[in-house]
Amino acid sequence: MKSLPEILKEIRPEFDFTTSNNFMEDGMLDSFDMVTLVSTLDKTYDISIQGTDIVPENFQNLQTIEALLRKCGVQL
Amino acid sequence: MAPINTVSQVFDAIRAVKSAAPAFCTNFFPIERKVQAWIDHGELAGDLRDGTALFFRKDRDFWHLYFCAASPGTLERELISVKSLKTERMVVDLVGNEAALSELLVLLKQAGFRRYSQLQRMARSPESGLPPASTGDAVVTNAEPADREAIVDLLDSSFDRYADQLPARHEIEAAIAGRQMLAIKCGEVLAAVLFFETQGLTSTIRYWAVAESFRSRRFGATLMRGYLQAHAAVRRFILWVVATNENAVQKYQHYGYAPDGLVDHVLANQLIP
Repeated sequence: MKSLPEILKEIRPEFDFTTSNNFMEDGMLDSFDMVTLVSTLDKTYDISIQGTDIVPENFQNLQTIEALLRKCGVQL
Repeated sequence: MAPINTVSQVFDAIRAVKSAAPAFCTNFFPIERKVQAWIDHGELAGDLRDGTALFFRKDRDFWHLYFCAASPGTLERELISVKSLKTERMVVDLVGNEAALSELLVLLKQAGFRRYSQLQRMARSPESGLPPASTGDAVVTNAEPADREAIVDLLDSSFDRYADQLPARHEIEAAIAGRQMLAIKCGEVLAAVLFFETQGLTSTIRYWAVAESFRSRRFGATLMRGYLQAHAAVRRFILWVVATNENAVQKYQHYGYAPDGLVDHVLANQLIP
């Protein structure tokens, strides 16, 4: 299974997501990328991220996304 | 439709719809500072219904419609009874591919909207390099507050206000203050502008226009080079362009931009010619 940095790299190959603490502020992800990312995470981990969780705060950096995945039952 | 007075009204309404949403759907991805600016200028109204939050943003002589709904079915049910759809000029944008949006496109058509335009996003990597320097003597400067009305006139005459999400005067003022509006002037006359927004490692060209009487003097090329040169640290350049505007698409391709697959379907109601 692909790792989270690998998934992000596929969506936006031009960025190194391990170096940022705020993907939105650093211009690495926008709202459209977030929709793509949610769909990819749903498929990759066989989960369904709830609408209430699709907020920028949950997609700020690797740690917040991992916390969201854990909340959805993914064991990382 | 009632005026929205606080940012929290917007985000609370979205949260309320999401919390009971079996199949949440939206075309609204609000950025807090932009919402605040719309509220500050009295441009934002809302219609909060059962399972649906509708937001209307005033723009010139029409409104942009944004929706958040618990499901497409809920949206369909509520849109039927929105009176302003039949009395006000209204435009709605849906971003995504045709297949994923088919259900929403159908229900918006049933609510009285028709396809009006289609924008495609184009992206460019910095590896494309800088275009060659222009040979002309045009000087790229930052636009000044006194240029505001000339910029409004140039953008309004160069773009389609219904499709291109033209900036309000306060957005132009903010862009000038933020040094995000490059200009070329001939004397005191504005000849060309390039309006961009840069967020971290991504920069978006919002508008690039040369006044008709100043075309064929490579002002556009000079502006583009100035813009790219000033953004050496940016890793991703993007823009939206009307997909059928082959001339514009070719110009952007010349500078290394290519369609990245994201499409914005612009729909207009029957009151828009």
